[in-house]
Amino acid sequence: MISLVTILVMGLSTYLTRIAGFLLLRNRTLSPKMETLLNSIPGCVLISVIAPAFFTLQHADIVALAITLIAAWRFGLLPVVIIGISSTFLSRLLL
Amino acid sequence: MESKVTSNKINEFRRGQQDAIPVLLGFIPFALVLGAQATQKGLPPYLVALMTGTNFAGGSEFTAVELWTSPPHILLIVSMSLLVNIRHVLMGAVIARYLRYLPKRKAFFALFFMCDESWAMSLRDTLKNQQTTFSLPYYFGISSCLYLTWVSFTFLGALFGEEIGDLHKFGFDMAFTAVFLVLLRGMYRSAKEAIPWLISLVVAGIVYLMIPGAWYVAAGTIAGLLFAVLTNRETV
Repeated sequence: MISLVTILVMGLSTYLTRIAGFLLLRNRTLSPKMETLLNSIPGCVLISVIAPAFFTLQHADIVALAITLIAAWRFGLLPVVIIGISSTFLSRLLL
Repeated sequence: MESKVTSNKINEFRRGQQDAIPVLLGFIPFALVLGAQATQKGLPPYLVALMTGTNFAGGSEFTAVELWTSPPHILLIVSMSLLVNIRHVLMGAVIARYLRYLPKRKAFFALFFMCDESWAMSLRDTLKNQQTTFSLPYYFGISSCLYLTWVSFTFLGALFGEEIGDLHKFGFDMAFTAVFLVLLRGMYRSAKEAIPWLISLVVAGIVYLMIPGAWYVAAGTIAGLLFAVLTNRETV
């Protein structure tokens, strides 16, 4: 029973985080400076989420990450995902 | 006229589904692992599906499963989940201006499915086409695929947990990083504007190495944002 309650409360809290920012800003117009700041958020969020991948001590993973990083700068989403998975698989197998 | 609008919406929806395919490749193994881990912690499969169905937020779900006990410590789990998900507030703020002209009902419904990937991809799409409003069909094309995949594969992972074994050696976890790297590239404009990203990366990494748990995401994001705020002030 408490498991059910925990999950439901968790779900509600997650949804609240999703609508909070929207509720705060939807009727506000922001100054150009604020807009520039807002535009820097996406990159900071994304890179923070994948930060652990950059701080691994596994040689194989560092090599695979480097390959994936280079691929990401040149190719589209699907090729990069495939290159990422295969380079990681091979790296871990061989290194 | 109406059929043209409808067919355009269907095309947009399909386009979203198509663009979501590479992301699905990353979702599936993570979902299976999450389901399997949850089972090991004592969560029955139906509760796993409920968790992923009501949250649809991998980071917080992995955290919750890691912290899961019998009985679960509700305050701990919800607060840690909030910590991981707090970035949603910023994400919602970023897209507020692209949602504000939509009917409220649709916006609130759409926001339920906002995750890193659907948010970043729709944002990129909107900016690339120089639109002022989100293409909702495109967004739902992506979100519906991601949501259905996530919930069903976490459920499958919970059901067949023991048979899954070690997925680490197949390298699927890099798919997640790969998606984010491509999204980052799409957002890159100049080296100067990307310096906050570097700050975020370094701070997040250090916090990750030093403090267990999910603090590194919030720490990295705030550090990068603070840097942007402080350096912005200088140019006034």
